[in-house]
Amino acid sequence: MTIKQRAQTLAALTIAAVAANFAISAFAVEEGEMAPDFSLPSIYADRAAVSLSALQGRTVYVDFWASWCAPCLLSLPLYNEMYHKYKDQGLEIVAISVDNPIEDGLDFLLDTPLDFLIPADPDGDIAELFQVFGMPTSYLIEPDGTVSLVHVGFRKGDIEIIEEAIQKSLAAH
Amino acid sequence: MRMLRIPCLLLLATSLLTACTEVRPWQRGNFARVEMQWQSDPLESALNDHIFFSKEASSGGNSAAGGGCGCN
Repeated sequence: MTIKQRAQTLAALTIAAVAANFAISAFAVEEGEMAPDFSLPSIYADRAAVSLSALQGRTVYVDFWASWCAPCLLSLPLYNEMYHKYKDQGLEIVAISVDNPIEDGLDFLLDTPLDFLIPADPDGDIAELFQVFGMPTSYLIEPDGTVSLVHVGFRKGDIEIIEEAIQKSLAAH
Repeated sequence: MRMLRIPCLLLLATSLLTACTEVRPWQRGNFARVEMQWQSDPLESALNDHIFFSKEASSGGNSAAGGGCGCN
């Protein structure tokens, strides 16, 4: 191999590595796809770990949030109300905290107690798995594991859109 | 040697690109910290604005609207 060929090979490899770095985000979880299974410890040291496969057969609303994300903090108390309204009909809410350190998330929960499942993902492994492309992002997962709604961001009127989708899912199963 | 100069430079430039990485949405917590803000202390910055206004007889121009016309 001549020096020139070597240089060309190296350049091609470098370009490929850079391209791969930016191309990962093309594999985000979308509506109609199966939700990837995950298992995470609870943000509370004294509560059991949360896994998606253990919730199969229920309508699951998965939300990625952090204490530094203002729209997330707006949405969580509304999700708590929704949880109490629909939990008897089979709704489960899993609000994954991506706070690092997790104490930041716990500080928020001290002031705003929430009754649904709150696992902690400080390293963002599951956010990476779902390829979350905004904060907050939430996924409505049907009892059979398919994603029927992906919702990015949160504004005041959004809870109605989400509630409608949840009602539809609960009515169908 | 001269012929190799451009490929070598290109190689160097692209290898530096590997240091560029995307900050993912869930990693943006650090940007939200107080020490990352342009104005870490709103009270102090308001006071500085006030001093500037009284010394220069003009205000504004340091953020968005207002060109220091002294007409407000």
